[in-house]
Amino acid sequence: MKNEKNNIRDFLYDEPGPKAKRRIIFWTIVSLVPIAFLLYRMTVRFQENGQLAPQYWSFFLKYTTWRFIGQGLLGTLEAALTAGAIAFVIGFLLMRGRISRSGILRKISAALIEFTRGVPTLLFIYFFFLVVPQTGLKLPSLLRIALPVAISAVGVVAEVFRSGVNAVPKGQTEAALSLGMRNRHVFYKVIFPQAFRYVIPSLISEIVIVVKDTTFAYVINFPDLMQNAKVLISNYDAMLPVYLIVSVIYILINFLINQLARAVR
Amino acid sequence: MNSEHKSGAETPVIELRTVNKYFGTHHVLKDVSLSVRQGEVVVIIGPSGSGKSTLCRTINRLETISSGEILIEGQPMPAEGKELAQVRSRIGMVFQSFNLFLHRTILDNVTMAPMDVLHIKRKDAEEEALKLLRQVGIEDQARKVPAQLSGGQQQRAAIARALAMHPKAILFDEPTSALDPEMIQEVLDVMTSLAKSGMTMVIVTHEMNFARNVADRIIFMNDGAILEEGAPDEFFAHPKTERAREFLASFRNEQKESEL
Ligand SMILES: Nc1ncnc2c1ncn2[C@@H]1O[C@H](COP(=O)(O)OP(=O)(O)OP(=O)(O)O)[C@@H](O)[C@H]1O
Ligand SMILES: [Mg+2]
Repeated sequence: MKNEKNNIRDFLYDEPGPKAKRRIIFWTIVSLVPIAFLLYRMTVRFQENGQLAPQYWSFFLKYTTWRFIGQGLLGTLEAALTAGAIAFVIGFLLMRGRISRSGILRKISAALIEFTRGVPTLLFIYFFFLVVPQTGLKLPSLLRIALPVAISAVGVVAEVFRSGVNAVPKGQTEAALSLGMRNRHVFYKVIFPQAFRYVIPSLISEIVIVVKDTTFAYVINFPDLMQNAKVLISNYDAMLPVYLIVSVIYILINFLINQLARAVR
Repeated sequence: MNSEHKSGAETPVIELRTVNKYFGTHHVLKDVSLSVRQGEVVVIIGPSGSGKSTLCRTINRLETISSGEILIEGQPMPAEGKELAQVRSRIGMVFQSFNLFLHRTILDNVTMAPMDVLHIKRKDAEEEALKLLRQVGIEDQARKVPAQLSGGQQQRAAIARALAMHPKAILFDEPTSALDPEMIQEVLDVMTSLAKSGMTMVIVTHEMNFARNVADRIIFMNDGAILEEGAPDEFFAHPKTERAREFLASFRNEQKESEL
């Protein structure tokens, strides 16, 4: 087990010797000291201005609070999954355009990729919230959050896919062509499946960004976790506890996404 | 006599007519003409950079040519599309770096093209694939992925993959150059028995003993042109050109050194 090199650290460093081990312990302690100090100071401060008083926490004992948080969580997942699915499909199409044999298609795709990567998510949100309705187009609130979040991700998704395709050795294409396979089949049966495997880690990072971007849902009153958190805060006047709990939930979501990705591979 | 006359009139499987190829301004194939008969084993040798790989790759249009003509079974090589794919499917190719599909099992590697191109049912394709894998001696590796095989096993799998399309000819571009010495022979053995079975083969190699044993004809390339060609015994014993003599001498020295 010990000899198996399957962690990036195993490639970066030697097996630590006795001296290195002592140094690792030393720096671990040194880095823990300020963290412990900060936590201590925070607790003291909260104690002083009463943030830790039971009234700010007791509503977490109520079933309705958690049901409300749960509904928000579902909203977040719904928005993130929809946005993620849209981003993957459009990102894939943009990548196909970006590597197409038609020069015009390549240029258009490249421009769209640059545009969606460069514009902040919030501007797309405002666009779908303020501009689109004026055209008379009435989108369901799920799409009003999922579309802008997806659009701000498609450029990155397209480039991630493309980097994966470029990473597949040229010999794979040549072998498939020499067997008489058509270009399209070579791409879907040989190139893309390999490219996809290469880019799973980057795609995961992008999904995490999509999840975090859905927090903009509060702008349009879509009931996601963040929006519901805001409601709880104004109902109970308990900012710190709610944000604390909600942060933990977001961290858990992203942790689960990462675990899932690891399981898939 | 009669049969010889008949085979002489047969259309060659592969025919190149004054083929020229440029990479930019670099002239890498110079008026190359070559014709390979059904069942013939042609071995191409020559110094590095002389255009052996390029020649090999033009035959199934992995490399386009600048001028000249390439005929496969008497038909001009199509430029693109379905027709090109169809011709390619009849000419197998084995690469120096194996180029097995890394994400699929060995069995899938062998069945993929027959299923995709020839629309053979999975069950039949797998049956055939296992037969071919047995033929090259790696039937027990069928369910593994390429990375789990030794280089010699991977190259034999690649040969099985080419055979699965029932090609009219197979091109080999330095099939043993990426292999450790102890694996070279197992691949050469498979190729030798293929040659004996009557397969039409074009082989680029630096394995001179193998070349002498299996070749019906040796082609010596230098600087993009075919400098000399002939029966192996004749070529190795009495090379006509100075350049070929030098080339062969460098190999003998190498061999002597490795024997020391
Ligand atoms: N894709 C390419 N673009 C530009 N030049 C190329 C390309 N491929 C090959 N060449 C050049 O063409 C010439 C012939 O190359 P080729 O690979 O056919 O030689 P070779 O005889 O196979 O050599 P080796 O024994 O090293 O494999 C070389 O000078 C090489 O640098
Ligand atoms: Mg070569």
